[in-house]
Amino acid sequence: MNELEILRRRLEREKKARQAAESIAEEKTRAIFEANRGLQRLNESLEETVLQRTAELIDARDLAVEANRAKSAFLASMSHELRTPLNAIIGYSEMLLEEARESEAQRQFREDLGSIQSAGRHLLSLINDILDLSKIEARKMELFFERFDIRGMIDEVVTTIAPLAEKNKNRLIVTCPDDIGTMKSDLTKVRQSLFNVLSNACKFTANGEIELVAERQRHDGAESILFTIRDTGIGMTEEQLAKVFDAFAQADSSSTRHFGGTGLGLTITRNFCQLLNGRIYASSKQGEGSVFHIRLPATPAQPSAVPEPAADPAPAQAPRTVLVIDDDPAARDLICRNLARQGVRAITADGGLDGLHAAREQQPDAILLDVLMPRMDGWSVLTALKTEPALAEIPVVMVSMLEDREMAFSLGATDYLTKPVDKEKLQAILDRHCQPHTARSVLIIDDEPAVRDRFRHILSKQGWQVTTADNGAAGLAALADAQPDLILLDLIMPEMDGFEVIAQLRRDARWRDVPVVVVTAKNLTVEDRLRLNGAVQKLVRKTDSGLSELPAILGDVFPAEEPAAD
Amino acid sequence: MKGVVFSEFIEMVEDKFSPEIADRIIDQADLPSGGAYTTVGTYDHAEILSLVGCLSNETSITPGDLVQAFGSYLFSRFHTAHPSFFTGMNSAFDFLGKVEDYIHVEVRKLYPDAELPSLECEAPDTNQLRMTYRSKRPFAALAEGLIRGCVAHFEEDIDIAVEDLSDGAGTAARFVLIRN
Ligand SMILES: Nc1ncnc2c1ncn2[C@@H]1O[C@H](COP(=O)(O)OP(=O)(O)OP(=O)(O)O)[C@@H](O)[C@H]1O
Ligand SMILES: [Mg+2]
Repeated sequence: MNELEILRRRLEREKKARQAAESIAEEKTRAIFEANRGLQRLNESLEETVLQRTAELIDARDLAVEANRAKSAFLASMSHELRTPLNAIIGYSEMLLEEARESEAQRQFREDLGSIQSAGRHLLSLINDILDLSKIEARKMELFFERFDIRGMIDEVVTTIAPLAEKNKNRLIVTCPDDIGTMKSDLTKVRQSLFNVLSNACKFTANGEIELVAERQRHDGAESILFTIRDTGIGMTEEQLAKVFDAFAQADSSSTRHFGGTGLGLTITRNFCQLLNGRIYASSKQGEGSVFHIRLPATPAQPSAVPEPAADPAPAQAPRTVLVIDDDPAARDLICRNLARQGVRAITADGGLDGLHAAREQQPDAILLDVLMPRMDGWSVLTALKTEPALAEIPVVMVSMLEDREMAFSLGATDYLTKPVDKEKLQAILDRHCQPHTARSVLIIDDEPAVRDRFRHILSKQGWQVTTADNGAAGLAALADAQPDLILLDLIMPEMDGFEVIAQLRRDARWRDVPVVVVTAKNLTVEDRLRLNGAVQKLVRKTDSGLSELPAILGDVFPAEEPAAD
Repeated sequence: MKGVVFSEFIEMVEDKFSPEIADRIIDQADLPSGGAYTTVGTYDHAEILSLVGCLSNETSITPGDLVQAFGSYLFSRFHTAHPSFFTGMNSAFDFLGKVEDYIHVEVRKLYPDAELPSLECEAPDTNQLRMTYRSKRPFAALAEGLIRGCVAHFEEDIDIAVEDLSDGAGTAARFVLIRN
């Protein structure tokens, strides 16, 4: 009994203990829950903090990006601002130099002018360097391939580098075979590459020798030009040599301080060489000197999209009128004087709106259009010109300090020139795109406006002066006004058809010899052919392929005077 | 004091003496908890003292001897419940030397509110270990029991000298262990 009582009491205690344990467990569970909740809150607020920090970071990054953009814009506009007066200095000194050339008495004066000009060019190249590197970095560098005389290019480089060589009492030796011939590359970039390497050689050599050797070689089955620049200067260690092509790298930051420079020269040069499908490499020995090699293909591997300038532009015969639109008076003046020397009549406008106005009034043969202008920039002017039918055919040559060929061509510009405007390039472009008034003219007689437009488009691009008439009678009236060099004639037209036009032409002595090209959709019968026989030069089918053959066909009709191909 | 000590004590009484005695001393001690102990609970240490007092009356064994015996018993129970504490321990000195730095640290992880005594150890030579016990509670005898239980567990021949540092209060003592 007693035992039972003890067991009962023990059970009682166990029960109580269990309940106590349960309530403790419950309490602990709650405590854990609370702790968890606290952690969760902490976590959330952490997340919030992280989000906030991230937002702050994004803001900071955006600010940095914006600042960088602003910096680039500043750099671009700054170099524009610098280049405008600089171009004027170079241009004017060039003009003066030319004038001074005429009198032998002005020798000293001429030399001074030469110095002004070369200093100006050097400054310009420094500014261009800065812009080049940012462009290379932004992968926006454009190439302009042209065929040039290697010897001539080297002579030019040597003239520029000679004062630098003399400064450190270095002897400059140039070895270039007379018959080395021409190469097709980007002249500016080749010249600058050689200049950069040569200027290093001059800078890091004193009382020594600097040698420039140019050779034509067959390399990897292709013609290449190898330029070797050898100096007897301070040279470099292997470590230094390994870094010379890195941006801002100077072999020895402390000791090269007194040589000046930014460490960009070789970086730009290597980039240029790569762009031109060539390469630059070097060897050097400290205390003995360095050798740099630049190997460039003699012609680009793939045919470049940029046309080769006409080898021998036909000389202008009659005065041409060119409209110059530029906000900078000095730039306008320079171009006008250049044009005057070429026998071109220049009219000017100092802004886009004035320019459009002048273009409408004077119908110039070509327009030289500056890109960066206040209020209305060159791109807007170009677009306006191209959307106005009466002006759309006038060739527009963009003139800018920036290389924006693609933009220019996509907006319909005919060609592109960079400032300072090279006299010869300007002349070549004008000869190519803007024919003198005696240039071939064509009368298009067709009743379909779409066909007329199409012909006008194709032919004016070829340098033809285009007049149109929408039926035979109107065509004959136009003939009486001004006699064209060629008539493009449709056969089926209302009022007076093509057959009738031909009959009338044959009857009049003035027009009998004007060549006629018939363009028709008609399937000609034997009878038709008989009526045309002997009276027309060519027959062109009015199909797409027929039309696209038109320039070639006209070339056949005018073999001697084919307009410069574009 | 942690509930495990109380439940182990009751179990020891039931086991070594008898369930009747256990029941009786719980009844006589008139405990606030009613003697319903759970290992996860915490109880006033005075309860164990009253329980020991009652057991002493019941058995005419001095409370000191009883507490010490309980200490030895507790050690063996500890070994059964927490064998992981013994891995890599090869001797009593090994184990005792790590009580403060290892075992107490682990105990605190399980029972953050446990009020543990301090147990300072020095080893003047490889065969001697001097341990100083200090606590807010009078359980020097319990500590001695635990130490003896430890020596018994490792089956070593070790003499233990006890020096009271608390004037009979039982809150501080020095144990000098000499291995033969
Ligand atoms: N011919 C050389 N002899 C010795 N060291 C050279 C030679 N050419 C280049 N270096 C070393 O390579 C470095 C980089 O040349 P780089 O043309 O890139 O920069 P730079 O001449 O210092 O400055 P920058 O050309 O931008 O005015 C030079 O600073 C120089 O230390
Ligand atoms: Mg340099």
